[in-house]
Amino acid sequence: MNRPAAENVTIYAPRPCRLLDVQQLTPQEKLFRLQLADGSDLGHQPGQFVQVSIPGLTEAPISVASSPSRSGYFELGVRRAGRLTAALHQLQPGAPLGIRGPFGRPFQLAALQGRQLLLIAGGCGLAPLRSLIQYCQDHADDYASVQILYGARSPDDLMFKQDLANWQISDSFTCRYTVDNRPASSCYDGETGLITQLLADLRPDPAICCAVVVGPPTMYRPVIAELRRMGLSGARQIMLSLERQMRCGVGKCGHCSIEHLYCCSDGPIFWLEEVEQLRGALG
Amino acid sequence: MNATLTTCPYCGTGCNFYLQSDVNGRLSGVEPAGKHPTSRGQLCIKGWNAHAFVDHPDRLTAPQLRRNGQLQITDWNSALDLLHDKLSGIAAQYGPDSLMFLSSAKVSNEENYLLMKLARAGYGTNNIDHCARLCHSSTVTGLVETLGSGAMTNSLSCFDETGLIFVIGSNTTEQHPLIGSRILNAVQRGARLIVADSRKIRLARHADLHLRQQNGSDVALLNGMMRQILQDGQEDTEFISQRTENFAALRQGVEKFTPEYVAQITGLPPEQIVSAARLFAQARRAMIVYAMGITQHSHGVDNVRAISNLALLTGNLGRPGTGVNPLRGQNNVQGACDMGALPDVYTGYQRVADPAARQKFSTAWGVQLPETPGLMATHAIEAAAAGQVRGMLILGENPMLSEANQGLVRKALERLDFLAVIDIFPTETTDLAELILPAACYAEKDGTFTSTERRVQRGRKALESPGAARPDWQILCALLQRCGLPAEYADPAEIMTETATLTPSYGGISYPRLEGMGLQWPCPDAEHPGTPILHREQFTRGKGRFSPVDYRPSAELPDADYPFLLNTGRTYFHWHTGSMTRRSHLLDREERQAFVEIHPADAKKHRIKERQQVKISSRRGTIAAAAQLTDRVPAGQVFIPFHFAEGAANALTNNALDPESGIPEFKVCAVRIEPC
Amino acid sequence: MLKQLTRSALEHLLQQTAADYRLQVPQRLADGTRQLAPYGSGELSLFGETPQRKPTSAFFPQTEPLLKIDSTGAVQLPAAAEKPLALFGLDAHDLHGIAFIDRFFSAAPADDVYLRQRTNALLIGLTGAAGPDQSFLPLSAGNCDIELIASNDHWLAVAYSETGEQLLEPFPDGDNDRLRALREETSSYRAIRPDSLQKASELLLHDRVPDDFWEAIAARCILCSGCNLACPTCTCFCLQDRQRADGTERSRVWDSCQLDAFMREASGHNPLGSEALRTRRRIHHKLAADPQRWGELGCVACGRCDRACPTGIGIFAVAEEIVKRYEKG
Repeated sequence: MNRPAAENVTIYAPRPCRLLDVQQLTPQEKLFRLQLADGSDLGHQPGQFVQVSIPGLTEAPISVASSPSRSGYFELGVRRAGRLTAALHQLQPGAPLGIRGPFGRPFQLAALQGRQLLLIAGGCGLAPLRSLIQYCQDHADDYASVQILYGARSPDDLMFKQDLANWQISDSFTCRYTVDNRPASSCYDGETGLITQLLADLRPDPAICCAVVVGPPTMYRPVIAELRRMGLSGARQIMLSLERQMRCGVGKCGHCSIEHLYCCSDGPIFWLEEVEQLRGALG
Repeated sequence: MNATLTTCPYCGTGCNFYLQSDVNGRLSGVEPAGKHPTSRGQLCIKGWNAHAFVDHPDRLTAPQLRRNGQLQITDWNSALDLLHDKLSGIAAQYGPDSLMFLSSAKVSNEENYLLMKLARAGYGTNNIDHCARLCHSSTVTGLVETLGSGAMTNSLSCFDETGLIFVIGSNTTEQHPLIGSRILNAVQRGARLIVADSRKIRLARHADLHLRQQNGSDVALLNGMMRQILQDGQEDTEFISQRTENFAALRQGVEKFTPEYVAQITGLPPEQIVSAARLFAQARRAMIVYAMGITQHSHGVDNVRAISNLALLTGNLGRPGTGVNPLRGQNNVQGACDMGALPDVYTGYQRVADPAARQKFSTAWGVQLPETPGLMATHAIEAAAAGQVRGMLILGENPMLSEANQGLVRKALERLDFLAVIDIFPTETTDLAELILPAACYAEKDGTFTSTERRVQRGRKALESPGAARPDWQILCALLQRCGLPAEYADPAEIMTETATLTPSYGGISYPRLEGMGLQWPCPDAEHPGTPILHREQFTRGKGRFSPVDYRPSAELPDADYPFLLNTGRTYFHWHTGSMTRRSHLLDREERQAFVEIHPADAKKHRIKERQQVKISSRRGTIAAAAQLTDRVPAGQVFIPFHFAEGAANALTNNALDPESGIPEFKVCAVRIEPC
Repeated sequence: MLKQLTRSALEHLLQQTAADYRLQVPQRLADGTRQLAPYGSGELSLFGETPQRKPTSAFFPQTEPLLKIDSTGAVQLPAAAEKPLALFGLDAHDLHGIAFIDRFFSAAPADDVYLRQRTNALLIGLTGAAGPDQSFLPLSAGNCDIELIASNDHWLAVAYSETGEQLLEPFPDGDNDRLRALREETSSYRAIRPDSLQKASELLLHDRVPDDFWEAIAARCILCSGCNLACPTCTCFCLQDRQRADGTERSRVWDSCQLDAFMREASGHNPLGSEALRTRRRIHHKLAADPQRWGELGCVACGRCDRACPTGIGIFAVAEEIVKRYEKG
């Protein structure tokens, strides 16, 4: 048996972290801007996640919503769902926090180089995808084209509204979004309908197109069917980010297993063909 | 990594396990006892996690006194002096019967014995009771009358040799999981299973027949089955003639319960009643298993009588694989009853009203004892609310969540001149106490517990109690001494020695004999091997007595204003008022919040969605809980577990009491539901 | 290195070991349970059924403090134990189980909390005539420091590590022919894992077990979690925080995939949202997922889950049922 490199640390120790800024994104979601207390960069890649630690409430896995190309801070888009995220939503700038990570296999950036990118998000899936979108924005020349497609349940549920507006006017992107339902009282004047409708009129070049899909479990199958119909049927053409209740982040605790894979360390980013046949992987 | 063999602190099944301690002496886990006849190397989820709450930071670690609404830490001597001064002061001013003592089915036999002695000999009142009032008081009353003994007649090993099991009002796989598993195993080896329960419990999936009778209609169902058995000539005539009395009255009493009449009351198809009767009567050996679904009614004693009648009618008593088998809920609720933590009996059910028994205890304890039976716990709450009971000492109970009609309980406890509570955690009841004393938990003391099959077995100390917390027996000894009674017991074994001399059914019980797997009472002398099956040659009362009963409806049924029937109970993962299980990480994680089970059709009608918070109201209170849409409950019924203070089922329940046993009607009241 | 030990030499070896290690040895406890317990705390039990509590619990206990976080966010680790552990009395199944989770926890990134207990620990196997009524237990695969092979009135002692050799140094040499004979006996003995496990594994890998099978098995599950907690290769855990005066104590606690909240997400979504899916997961993980990931079954056939299961649906029972129902011809 080999001893661990340093006996004084543990992979389970959170690193102290400062909350720099909090921004309300939707009624249920907030964006937290954080910095490691020692001032160092998180050192993540787009698509990775961290474990946020709040003493008394253990930890919760949260995807990083900002690109490493924006240095000096990192951002987490968090939906208020359980006890820890509810407590997080109560925090004010300046509050101390603990962070472990970054963890997981990131978006396969090398495989995306030079391709036409379809970046597709549903619901709060836009938060992890935003790390890639920002990265693409900062490395626009690396891609043939970048198209962002986003669907939310209602106008109120649209995350990152300011970003969406900026991406829509950006030279590097095309960006479209839609909502499932528009309440009569809403002043929203954008598109209405399921995300698959945004895909319907796309004509990508299957030879160079690569799609990245991040969304709730119910979104994967219909979106994948639509992408296949457009000709994205080869290997390494569709990349997914899967979500599970990752507890440790390092492939030990077992809570995120998908058959023989661990979502936290083998993923959360997978090529479709790696998980498609695995029971329960796509919801 | 030491291992200490002890008895599980949760249900009455009586599993044994080893508490594992780490190098620092802290508990690190649980391992089931491999050769113990009940556990057999197995446990339920609560047993596997029974170490988890012990070192929870919420443990009470110092005596605390409430002054001007603020809790202040005090020392033991001052606390005990104050407690004694208050209790004796109230007794002197208003009479001893203005005091009430609530004992606990969670503490040991020795501790129950001491508290019962303290109430009677120390403060001169028979006002002592405990939560058996809320669970099996109907059983004790009903079975003593018909059979002569209020306990489970047979042993758990009988499940391995029975031909049929009739489970009525017991969610056995959830509430007595290791008994439930024996039932499932019996079905696997070919035994027949009848389940009578309005909810689709797990056992129902394996049943030959699942009867979903309306809550509160059990008397009609049982009478209907008996009438059919008589109609078919399937009764055990030899058993009836040789071992029973009052049969003619039974025959007459059940006559009107035709399948059609029973169908009207129970909501069951008439042919199901006939099938159930035939299936039951055909078994050579049949066990009846019941629990709170039978006892917690304003006619709970009648329900128990009807069950006893059915067993007598078919000769299913006194043999292996048969019996009337009430499953006791708490790990020591059998023992707390055996030890006389009841208002009308001393240990071993020796009656307070019997001058000879009184004389015996009076001589042994060296004091005059009060003659009249005391108050039942439920009546004591009413008396406190009316200002008649003025001082109360509660040992390890949380009536604020466990008694029916929380509003009344709060009023009662708030009106007391003095309330002291001994417990291991702060509870909704300690919140109202003037004095709170910190106790050692099961893992921190020695003692004995008596399981549902009357097995007296050891609890053993695995670690020291936190801070200044003390074992209850030491607290009670200190009070006995303040009352001028000798109480120099070196250890709980000495208390058991005293108990045994005063208690015929425990006469042969001593600590050395309990090593291994314990002893089943009656165990009258030091050579007696214990009694796995009661009533073998004759009944405890001589002949078994048929006690015919008529159907009486529940006190409050659904109506236009309150259209749902509320059923209450427990869930698998939690224990009673949650003070232990909600502090056990895995158990808490499984069920973290109050919920209400509602049938999907009802939910649709009331526009209620899964996980939505809803408001549930009865004539007594209103709570909020998360909706759980499930066909486990029938349409028209909702089920709420009583574990959760923030959605307390007992804020809604009806304290309509059984006239004989004083048990409240936890299983039936009327509520309405609205989205929050 | 092959040595031979008499009963008193064995006692001498244990005393030697106890001087430098926290030695755990099999004992017969009060109710008859056979269990590893601290050396000297009771009478040594040199043969009998497999000790009940899984030996992996010594290195990965049911509840284990990981760290403490003080009010400033600074992290402290629990004090290290004074001496490393030594486990005596492990049969081939249990040594296999320890090796299985050694590999699991050592896989990058290594679990330092496990390694803190495991590194420098000493494993002493006990095989040969050490089963119930001195029946024959198959020899180990050498995945221990020392293996003692019981044979009539003495023990052959094989050292498989440097530490093992040092400890055995003082004792007289053993009979190599006898060892060879015992090894042959082992290979002719029933396989460490019964056939049904391997066959069930293949049926699962070929997706030949339908969903209604899992529903029927799950209907008998009373959610005790004993199968997981008794299993030496189950490694799932959850985190528990307890806030005390001097900071928050974070521990890990054995978890069970049979529980609804095991994978339930805060949103209520649950990838293992039915009893049938969870029951399938328990068996599939050991017999199909583990072979895919680690190249071998996750079940070391120790029999503990079958003993711990109150309703007879441990992994042997289920594997046999799978083979009976779904194996063709």
